[in-house]
Formats: sequence, structure tokens, C-alpha cells
Amino acid sequence: MLSRIPPQTLRILALLFVLVAVLLFFSTQVPNYLNGRLFNRISSSVAIMALIACGQTLVILTRNIDLSIGSVVGFVAFATGSLITHSPDIPPLVLAAYSILLGACFGVVNGFFVAYARVPSIIVTLGTMALFRSALVEYSDAKSITTNNLPTWLVEFPNTQLFTIGTFQFRAAFVVAILVVIAVHITLSRVRPARKLYAVGSNPEAAEMSGINSKLVIFFAFVSAGALAGLAGFMFLARFGTITVVAGLGFELKSVAAAVVGGVNIFGGSGSVIGALIGAVLIDLIDMSLVRWQLVSEFWREAVLGSLILLSVAADAILMRRLVKWRVSREKKDAKLEVQA
Amino acid sequence: MKNIFKLTAAAALSLGTAGATLAGGHSVSLTPGEDINMVLLPKFLGILVFDQANEGAQEAHAELGNTGELLFVGPTPENSTAGQIEIMTTSATQGQGAVMLSNNAGDQIVPSAVAAQAAGTRVVTWDSPIPSGEGEDVFVAQVDFGSIGTVMADMAHSILGGSGQMAVLSATPDAANQNAWIAAMEDALKGEKYSNIELVDIVYGDDQAEVSYNRALALVDKHPNLGVIMSPTTVGIQAAAKAMQDEGMCGQVGVSGLGLPSEMVSYTMNGCAPEFALWDFRDLGYLTYYTAYGLASGQMKGEIGETFNAGRMGDFTIEEDPGRPGSSRILMGDFTVYNSENVEAASK
Repeated sequence: MLSRIPPQTLRILALLFVLVAVLLFFSTQVPNYLNGRLFNRISSSVAIMALIACGQTLVILTRNIDLSIGSVVGFVAFATGSLITHSPDIPPLVLAAYSILLGACFGVVNGFFVAYARVPSIIVTLGTMALFRSALVEYSDAKSITTNNLPTWLVEFPNTQLFTIGTFQFRAAFVVAILVVIAVHITLSRVRPARKLYAVGSNPEAAEMSGINSKLVIFFAFVSAGALAGLAGFMFLARFGTITVVAGLGFELKSVAAAVVGGVNIFGGSGSVIGALIGAVLIDLIDMSLVRWQLVSEFWREAVLGSLILLSVAADAILMRRLVKWRVSREKKDAKLEVQA
Repeated sequence: MKNIFKLTAAAALSLGTAGATLAGGHSVSLTPGEDINMVLLPKFLGILVFDQANEGAQEAHAELGNTGELLFVGPTPENSTAGQIEIMTTSATQGQGAVMLSNNAGDQIVPSAVAAQAAGTRVVTWDSPIPSGEGEDVFVAQVDFGSIGTVMADMAHSILGGSGQMAVLSATPDAANQNAWIAAMEDALKGEKYSNIELVDIVYGDDQAEVSYNRALALVDKHPNLGVIMSPTTVGIQAAAKAMQDEGMCGQVGVSGLGLPSEMVSYTMNGCAPEFALWDFRDLGYLTYYTAYGLASGQMKGEIGETFNAGRMGDFTIEEDPGRPGSSRILMGDFTVYNSENVEAASK
């Protein structure tokens, strides 16, 4: 049975196994741990990071990285907030489209420099990370967006309960994020042009040879990541209400961590956005549980979080290798049996 | 003489500016019109309170008729520590008369601040001091750090109705000002009045909305009987209030601490954050400018016991910083406690 499962699915199964292990471990350490409340906490907090990690994954698949993604989230959150503050009658979908479009514009800048000017992405986005953040500082003029200037529908949107299963609440922000991730996943695995991301990432020369316009593909990856970051910016605004220039600070590294923990190969070419989503959930879960764990003081939390991330990635890698080895030996045995038969 | 000084210091502590005039000696009146270039260096750019401090400094700059330049420069948020050190170093090379620093770099700023002093640049800190006091001429304290502790304890007392559990949601674990205030609050809590209030936890939201929001929720999950979240940072207090509002827990857990009226007004009116406090950052910038101008122009020596006149704010005296022995401070004093009665007017 196991031998028929594709390696990507196997990887996700391994991740889920680690997730369950973490849950079980903390349930022995933290009182009142395993309940609907934990699900509600994690699901509403992961909604934003899921979108960002999803965008980051698209870029990493092409052997690139987007370090400006946190600044994009911050800028879009602020700009969207400022737009709706000044013209409160804008319909919800138009506002969301504005956020996505604005994010995509930042993606165009990154994509242009990486794909067409051929500057390494780590340098381009390191530059634009500071550039977009400075643009936000300039644009904000030291004002903050505050909740009381936002329309009620926007503030209430993330916590609207769409449906509940037992004590598990499915809130709008989480459901939207999941739907987006699933849509991106289906596109990546079923739609031919989107498959080119994998082709370019796993073997750029071969991709070029087979007639793929790899520049365009990389450009497209950055624009999509920008658009997803834009949507995340919209959700960030809705969830936190108060937006200052520090909004989204550090999200670039968190999203890379989520993608890598989720089994996305940092050298490009393999991984899935579902994996990145689970990676984001895992990191959030560990982080949140550590705060509630009496044993770990605040000063050690970061270190423990780092070690746990390393441990889960290592466990995932070892588990994967074991499974692959086991499968290969099984196949050999099967082949032998067939020969004997 | 020593006793008189002690008395003066005590009076200054309790009465703020009024006490300083008792010093008896003469108060230095600063001669305007000197040509001194100065730098106002906030933790980072783009935060309202720092812009307000700049407005106050600009007001003093115009009032004193300084023919030099007053620069408002700061790092971007993601580069705060390294950026502050860089600006401090550059200011020294440029031969600036004074750098007014709201320190976000802990003691890491010390080498560059010491170098700046050696190059003849006066280093005046405000809002957040250099923890060790090294490389710093004087710290302009917004309020007495000890009295912040008492005010926070009092706000918790009033929200809890005298007894219950409280937790602290701070900024970063190495923020000098927040740590000093929390320590002061822990001291205050030892008093008889607060014997039924238990401080159960201190967590850090890194001064970021999303981290603070999640920490606030983790606090109520970890301590089911929690009654107050005390957040001595403008980012933390509003994130905590939003989290309690989103989860419908405002009746159960009150949020308090240090916040901006314009950001807190809705939470105070709906009961999520019944009381909070803050001081005037314009005044802080104004007083800091007067201090730095006096020192850089050589009209003040910066010695303990020295009294000077800071324009519309009256007389101030340099004293030893009770929280950092061996360092000196100027106490601005007084802050406002906001509640549903006065917050709307202040938020305009």
C-alpha cells in the first residue's frame, strides 16, 4: 500500500506525524491543552502566515527567495487601511482586490530585477525589503491606522464563524486562507503552465532546452508571491486593526521557516504549498505551546523553538529516508519474487 | 548641605517641577542664539510618539533661536539596533553638538556613545536610557520610573477591585525602560494595599502587533483566572485589548498599561481597557532639547544638583538616577491616567 503513495504525500504524512507527536507531547505538559480552544487559536493565527508561506513557496520552488515579503505585507496593510479610512464606502471585494493588486505591483519590482536584470534574488529582495519598509515609513508619516476608523465589516470579518464542528470554530479568515492554499495547490499540481515552476526549479537548463521561458516563469512566481502577500496584508489589517510601520516585520524569515519545515526544498524544484501550510501550523503550534509551558522561561523560548524546528525537520528527513529505503527494498523484493515466479 | 540636597531631590520626586525651584541656588537661564547642530535619534522612524517628541524639540529649537540645524534621523524598524549605532557614530564624525537618543540598543550603544563623547558630542538620552549609564551625559526621564510602577499597580488594583491575578505583556526582553518599570511595579506590589494581587506571569510581545496579540491569548489560556493584562507598551496594550475584544473576554480580563489615547479610545469606551496612562511626548522632546542645548553650548556642566530653566516648562534639576546609581537624570514628571471620562477628548 505504502509503496503506491507518491513521495510528496509521504512527506506530508510524515509532517502530520510530527504534528501529532508535538500535540501529544504538550498535552502531557500543559493543563487544559487538547481542546477546541487550541484549534481556534492556531487556526485564526495561522491564516495570515499560511498565505505568506504559500507565496514564499512559489518563489522558493524556482530556486529563489523573497525577503521583502514582510515589508510588502506591512505596506499593503497600511495602504489598504488608509484607503478604507478615507473612503469607507468601498465594497469589500474591491478593497481586497486593491490589496492583492498592490501586493502584485511590489512583486513586479522584485520579479523584474531577478528575472530580467538577472540580479540574485537574495540581493534584490534584501534591498527591496529595506526599500519597501522605508517607503512605508515615508508614506505613513508616523500616523497609525486605528481600529475605530475601520468599517465594522472589515474588523469583524476574520472572526466571523462560518460553521462549527463541536468546539472547533471555523472562522472566515482561516477558511479563506485554506481555500486559497488548496486552490494554489491544485493549480500547481494539475495546471500545465504552473508545473513550469517545478521544471525551472529542478533543472533550469533542461527547462530552457525544452522551450520553457524561465524568465517569465520566475517573474510570474514573484508577482504571485506579491499578490498573496497583498491578500495577507488585507487579512493582517482586518485582524489587528491597528497598523504601524512595524507591521509584518520578520514575516520573511517566518515564511521561509514554514516552507522549509513543510518540506519545501530550499534549493528549489520540490515541495508543496500544503506542506508549507502544515509547516506554518507546526511552528505556530510549537511557539504557542512553549509560551504556555511553565518549564521554559521567556529567554529560552526562542532557542527551544529553534531546536524544535531543527528537530522536526531532521525527524521529517530521517523518516522520509527510512520510508524511501524501505520502499526501495520492498520493490526489490517484489521484483525478485516476480522473477522467481 | 547634603541634607538640603536630599530634601530637594525628595521634593522634586514628589512634586515634579515645583520642587526644583527650592534648590535655592541659581537656575541657569540658557542664552539663545548659539550655533549648534543637533540630532534627535528615536528608536526608529514612523511611530507617532517619536514624531510628537520631534515636534516638541522643533518648538524648543525655534524658541532658542539656534542657528544650527536640528536633524530628526532614525533607523528603519527592522534595523533599529545597528542603525542607532551607525547614526551615533556618524554624528560623532560629523561633529554634531549633541545627540538626543531614545536608546533601543541596550548597552551595545556604549562604545559608539563613548566615542561620540570623546569627539565632543554631548549624549542626552530620553524615553529609554543607556542601562549602564556609560557614554551618557544625562537621561531625561519622562516620569519617575518608581512612580510608573505605583501607577500600574494602582490601575491593576482598581480594575481587579482589590484582588485577583495579573500578568504583564511587555515589549522586548531587553527593553531598558519597560524592564525598569516592571521591576518598579513588582516593588510597588509588595505594599499592603496590593497584598491580594498576584503577578502570575511576564511575557514579551516584541512590540509587534501579531506577537503581542498571540501572547495575550496565550496568557488567558495559561491562567484561566487572570483578571488583568498590564502592558507597559503602546503596541502591546492595543494588541491585547483587540485580542480580548475579538474573543469576547473583555468582561473577564481587563487590559491596562501605557497607551496612546488615539489608539485606545474605542477599547476604553467599550470597557476592554478601562484605564491606562501616558505622558506627553511633545513636552519630553521639548525638555530634552533644552537640556541638550544647554550642555552642548557649554552653558550647563551636567553636574548633579545643577538647575536650569527650560522655557515654558519651568525649572529642572539634574539629580542622581535612583534606578541607575552613578548616572544622572532630569525628571520631567507627571503623566495622565485615561479612562472613559477623559479619553475621548484626548484622542482628538
